[in-house]
Amino acid sequence: MYFDPNEYLLNPVISVLNWAVVVGCLTFVVLFVSMINLFATRGAKGIGIFFDELGEMASDLFHLSPRRIWALTRLTYTEAIRRKALAVFVVFGLLFMFAGWFMGDTKEIKPDQVKVYISFVLTTISWLTLPVVLILCCFGIPEDIRLRSIHTVVTKPARRVEIVLGRMIGIWLIGCLVLSVMAVVGHFWIVRQIPAESQPLLTCRVPVYGANIEFIDREGNSARAGVNVGDIWAFRSYIEGATKARAIWIFKNVDESFLDSEGNLNFENSFSAFRSYKGDMTRPLFYDIKFFNPAKNLAYTTDPQPVNEFRHKLDKIPNKVTVDDVQYDILKDFVNEKKELLVEVSCIDREQYIGMARSDLFIRMPDRPFWMGYWKAILGISLTLLLITMIGVSASTMVKGPIAAVLTFVIYFLSLKDNHQFMDQLVFGRVEGGGFLESVYRLVMHMGPSQELPANPAFSVVKFFDWMLNNFLWLCRHVIPYSQYFNMPEFVSNGFDVPWDTSILPSLLVTSAFIIPCVLMGYFALRIRELESK
Amino acid sequence: MSQSETVIEIRNLSKVYRDFWGRPKVRALNALSLDIKKGEVFGLLGPNGSGKTTTLKLLLGLLFPTEGEVKVLGKSAADVSKNERIGYLPEESYLYRFLNAYETLDFYGRLFDMTAAQRKERSEKLLDLVKLAPQSRRRQLKEYSKGMQRRIGVAQALINDPDLVMLDEPTSGLDPLGNRDMKDLILDLKAQGKTVLMCSHLLADVQDVCDRIAILYGGELKVMGRVDELLTAQDKTQIRSSKLSDAALKEVQEVLKRHDADFTVDQPTASLEDLFLKTVQESRERPGHRNVTDRQSVT
Repeated sequence: MYFDPNEYLLNPVISVLNWAVVVGCLTFVVLFVSMINLFATRGAKGIGIFFDELGEMASDLFHLSPRRIWALTRLTYTEAIRRKALAVFVVFGLLFMFAGWFMGDTKEIKPDQVKVYISFVLTTISWLTLPVVLILCCFGIPEDIRLRSIHTVVTKPARRVEIVLGRMIGIWLIGCLVLSVMAVVGHFWIVRQIPAESQPLLTCRVPVYGANIEFIDREGNSARAGVNVGDIWAFRSYIEGATKARAIWIFKNVDESFLDSEGNLNFENSFSAFRSYKGDMTRPLFYDIKFFNPAKNLAYTTDPQPVNEFRHKLDKIPNKVTVDDVQYDILKDFVNEKKELLVEVSCIDREQYIGMARSDLFIRMPDRPFWMGYWKAILGISLTLLLITMIGVSASTMVKGPIAAVLTFVIYFLSLKDNHQFMDQLVFGRVEGGGFLESVYRLVMHMGPSQELPANPAFSVVKFFDWMLNNFLWLCRHVIPYSQYFNMPEFVSNGFDVPWDTSILPSLLVTSAFIIPCVLMGYFALRIRELESK
Repeated sequence: MSQSETVIEIRNLSKVYRDFWGRPKVRALNALSLDIKKGEVFGLLGPNGSGKTTTLKLLLGLLFPTEGEVKVLGKSAADVSKNERIGYLPEESYLYRFLNAYETLDFYGRLFDMTAAQRKERSEKLLDLVKLAPQSRRRQLKEYSKGMQRRIGVAQALINDPDLVMLDEPTSGLDPLGNRDMKDLILDLKAQGKTVLMCSHLLADVQDVCDRIAILYGGELKVMGRVDELLTAQDKTQIRSSKLSDAALKEVQEVLKRHDADFTVDQPTASLEDLFLKTVQESRERPGHRNVTDRQSVT
């Protein structure tokens, strides 16, 4: 079990820079393709038309009418409702009527039970609303062009930007309507289905994570990571018991607000245990937590605590602690001038290991109500819907409905965590074996990825081609959104509140980054093509 | 804008449709040039595929010219702002079929940035003008007959009280009553000083309402001029009078013979449209009355 919010942690400056890169890349792609298209269809004068259109668009921006946009929004909204888009509620109703049968009794593991219920509701809502929005946004404008209804709109003073915006807002509103109804039902369903004894777990923890985690090896030297106990993919590093091995967290900006009402600092962990010998399997491994302030040469170590394997464990550390019969105040005496608190965790059991990652230990602030996190997760889904809508509508201005739907789905699929991370690896050269052509050559020739290619002009061409392709992939990597930013339901189903700065803000930035290029794309696609269905 | 001001200016307009690969497929229009003045009713005539609708779509900016230039109300066809003063009735009902009549006009009214009060007032007025029955106004357009769809189409074209009205086959799908209403409407628009450009291959309709016509064939302009001038037979003289006695008729014939005139004498017939309209009118005034002259059809 792991959940690492580090992936969401973004520096605001980097976020804004990323935003600018996404906007820049997308805008460049849109303008470049539009110019090429105009050149191909209208010859040399197409270039002049392209610049005229740029000016025309700028002029259109000053003539935008909220009433016209709202008219097109209402049209889209009415169309969706009258074409039975709300039939999705039937599927939703059926799923929720019978879901309880299959999710009944996991009472023995209450946190898992709560997680499964929340996760089920939020996943179901996502996977029901996404296809509805995908279909609506990809087929609206192509159908208008096919049936020529768009002739009666573009021969009115409606600007192309208004058509695109009206469609986007209308479809998003429909998506939000469906989402809101499902979210309300889902909320009541969760609260009613979860047994009374598990209800206290229905909360949103507010964690404050350490800025960093550092490791000390068994000899007492600083190490990049702990011990790898054999996992191919290591989320956690392990520290060996009864040695000098340690993990050190640095918590920043620690002050009185971190104390609970009883004056305790609440440390919660989800350490994992790895045994190098069986022994008594019912006996837990033990760890201790040490607070230290090198400047004052002061340290306080807690009593040994058992590792709660596969679960969370809360350690309430009183702010007033006694060291050598002298009482100290953790916040005053252990927090240094930079307002940093150093926390060290070590394993007590000899030849046993405790695994930990940065997010495995945090200071738990007062909890927030469940509904707050739940509705933030719904906000995350609605932002995903908006993103899909923008991409789908702008794609549908260029190609026919089914193609736009496939294109949008592929972009969404590539935006998923694993796919996007794989793109990252390719773009930043973390995958051995070279680029596309080189790896094909290696496959055919049965060459290992680390084997050197022979020095040959042909391979220079291959490498150059791969370099070009890699640059194109770099562009795609920036153009395709990273859907993990929008994955707020994951926070809630893991029992956390959705943080504003590390999740909501990045997702808002990513969404806003797509508005300008998508509208631009829609404008150009509708302006430079003849709206005659052939 | 003065009476002689040019509303539509077409210069050397050509349109070539191309296939997916950009190869020329059809030359739909070839070097068309014409002007349409303010306040006139202009008819574009021609058989199917002659380039009438293509011309209209080029004027509206729905298609891009291959060559040539178009100015509508003094602006380029691509300029959206020209649409503020244009009304367009497409060839078929391309309206949103899931809206009802009120919603349709309200939607198009919003596109002209009209206020709610303006939209409401204008919608009522237009629905009365096109004679759409009140009980039909709340039904979705997909339930409408072709004639009803044509009527609501006309209403949406006039929602902004346009200076220039472009009508593509305006009488297509209409019964003779609707046809007459449409022609009356066009004449009424003319009386209001509006410019009307209509495309049609129904010659009688064009003859009844148009001031000037242009006949296209194979994408080329073949004939253009005033209807009355084009249709006047210069080598013939027509005399009409009330019914003459046999003696008077004989006397007239003798006079014509003396002047070596090539003539025929018969009684004029009304058009079928006139007969139909008269019958419907009488039926409305005298329900149940029948006036059957063909005895075989009675048995």
